[in-house]
Amino acid sequence: MRFRQRIRTANWTAYAMVLPAVLIIAVIAVWPLIRTFWISMYDLRLNDPARNELNVSYGINAEKYANSMPLLLSLLNKEAEAASGKSHTELRELADRLARADAGLREDAALQTRLDRINALLDDFKPVPADMQNIHIDKTGAERMRSELSGIGQSLQTLKEQGALSRADEAIGLAKAVQQSFTVPNFVGFGHYARLLSEPRLWEALDHTALFTAIAVALEMLAGLLIALLMNRAFRGRGLVRAAVLIPWATPTAVSAMIWHFLYDGQNGIVAKLFAEIGLIPDMGALLSTRAWALFAVVLADVWKTAPFVALLLLAGLQTISASLYEAAQMDGASRWKQFVHVTVPMLKPTFFVALLFRTLDAFRVFDLIYVLTGGGPANSTESISIYAYKTMFAELDFGAGSALSVIVFACVLLISIVYVKLLGGEVLSRRIG
Amino acid sequence: MNKRAGPAFYAVVAVFVLIVLFPFFWVFLASVKAPAYLYGDYAFDVIVPKYTIDQYVSVFTNHPFGRYLLNSFAVGLLTMGVSLVVASFASYAIARLHFWGKSFFLGVLLAVSMFPQIATLSPLFLFMQSAGLRNTYAGLVIPYTTYALPLAIWYLTTFFRKIPYELEEAAKMDGASVLVVFGKVLLPLVAPGLFTTAIIVFVDAWHEFLIALTINTKEAMMTVPVGIAMFQGEFTFPWGEISAATVTVTFPIIVLVLLFQSRIISGLTSGAVKE
Repeated sequence: MRFRQRIRTANWTAYAMVLPAVLIIAVIAVWPLIRTFWISMYDLRLNDPARNELNVSYGINAEKYANSMPLLLSLLNKEAEAASGKSHTELRELADRLARADAGLREDAALQTRLDRINALLDDFKPVPADMQNIHIDKTGAERMRSELSGIGQSLQTLKEQGALSRADEAIGLAKAVQQSFTVPNFVGFGHYARLLSEPRLWEALDHTALFTAIAVALEMLAGLLIALLMNRAFRGRGLVRAAVLIPWATPTAVSAMIWHFLYDGQNGIVAKLFAEIGLIPDMGALLSTRAWALFAVVLADVWKTAPFVALLLLAGLQTISASLYEAAQMDGASRWKQFVHVTVPMLKPTFFVALLFRTLDAFRVFDLIYVLTGGGPANSTESISIYAYKTMFAELDFGAGSALSVIVFACVLLISIVYVKLLGGEVLSRRIG
Repeated sequence: MNKRAGPAFYAVVAVFVLIVLFPFFWVFLASVKAPAYLYGDYAFDVIVPKYTIDQYVSVFTNHPFGRYLLNSFAVGLLTMGVSLVVASFASYAIARLHFWGKSFFLGVLLAVSMFPQIATLSPLFLFMQSAGLRNTYAGLVIPYTTYALPLAIWYLTTFFRKIPYELEEAAKMDGASVLVVFGKVLLPLVAPGLFTTAIIVFVDAWHEFLIALTINTKEAMMTVPVGIAMFQGEFTFPWGEISAATVTVTFPIIVLVLLFQSRIISGLTSGAVKE
């Protein structure tokens, strides 16, 4: 009985101890991942008031509407009275059209009540609570109003050009404000995916990313293996070499990208000069300004930073191989090469595959290096899929398509992991847990 | 494989070390050359007529580089503190206690450590925006801690598992509760593991670029990697200043690496090799 109780308390303590970690992971990692997928189904644009939230149906920002609509109506009436001849009739007609549309919209009893309450608040100079601002309206009314408003906006523009309006800019601004108080449903389902997959830019970005990953990781694993074999013996100054190897790892990628930018510089970069003099590249400027060499430049910078790190991982693997295995092989008269093939290779394999998997996943989501070194250029020739996603979200403020691209990055990473696990066995992953 | 190393071996090692360290040497040289000698005829010379430390002064007076350093240190240390506290509780529970859903949780941790950060960026940005956490330390510490946790938890869990059960049993016999055993007996024993984890978590936070670039865009709240990337103008690269800034951030890292080499290596390689 006491024993059972003990287990139960231990159980509750265990949950209490993992709870903070579980909460943080769930809220800041798992939920955003699901949310990214959700956002990718909407046309979400931070620079467009009608689309800067996720809306499944038509809606109206009642406060905005209550503020701008009466002003627009009275302004149009005033302009109509002041104008004469043809402009007068046109403006009169516009004002009537707008008034009719407004009345039509207000037939919706819920909206009418909401507008009355907001007007009462505004008259008292009281703030309108956030939950009162947005209200759903039906599709026909909203569509009619939006088309009326854009028609009115166009007419106002023509009238302005004819010089028939005294407060033209104000009128046009107000018409725009009224129009912006409407939100349109921006659910597009898999629309972003369909569009992105049919455009060449995504496939080019995937191409660059895959090419970069394949070449960089292959070179890193090879160079890393050579360095590890080199360091896996006793020699004077080994500690210093190990420290030197850690320094590229310890430098932030963005900073090392800056360093390489300097070395590659078309006029004063020493590596560019060196490569041009040995005839590797046609001229000094080629490294960062031509399509083919820019990718080479990115790969070289990545290999420089990461191969030493791979070497450290592999060296740790080499050092776990018991010396007695080599002694036994030697007894049997195996040559150094034979020892490498029959002892080192099989014993190092698991470590090698873990390093390979994690390097591949890292290389596939490459961002910092390319962002700082080439910015994805020249002419998008080094644009990786993460760079494309970032640019779509933060340069174009198109969060819907950007999220779809992020989901594509995620899907690729997932696919790579599945392929590796299928080929190498689940052992690879569980090893990482220790 | 313990044949004595010959001169050829040392030559290969020397060339390798030279290749690894050359970029740092060249950047250091650029940071002390007088600006005029960075371009033109002297651009590729080691010996130039005039050396200067003006560029180091300029980095701190003409750019808010001191502020970037402060921000990076603050974010790194806060991330380190929060991650260690959360991770040490969780890893103890995983290593020593039985609870339902443990292997599921470990699987989620593994998945989180593998998935690309850009896949969480848009909701994270919108959340930080609406919570008013953009351009604050919390705006970075929260995501950094999240991404540091899987690594920290795995690493500490292996450390907890290495401690013999007898020590805990003895304490439990004396009537100590789980929490007392954890705090008074086990935590001091895993201090070396905590230390290594702390270094690696700090270095990761010090390196992070993508989240820092999107969440903290105000100059006064930028971290070092973003700050250095922003040194470049639209068409100009003040290479002298960039080099001085690079040397300034790399120097503490070199010191850190030299001091804690073996700990860092054991931390980085744990999990890749079976112990």
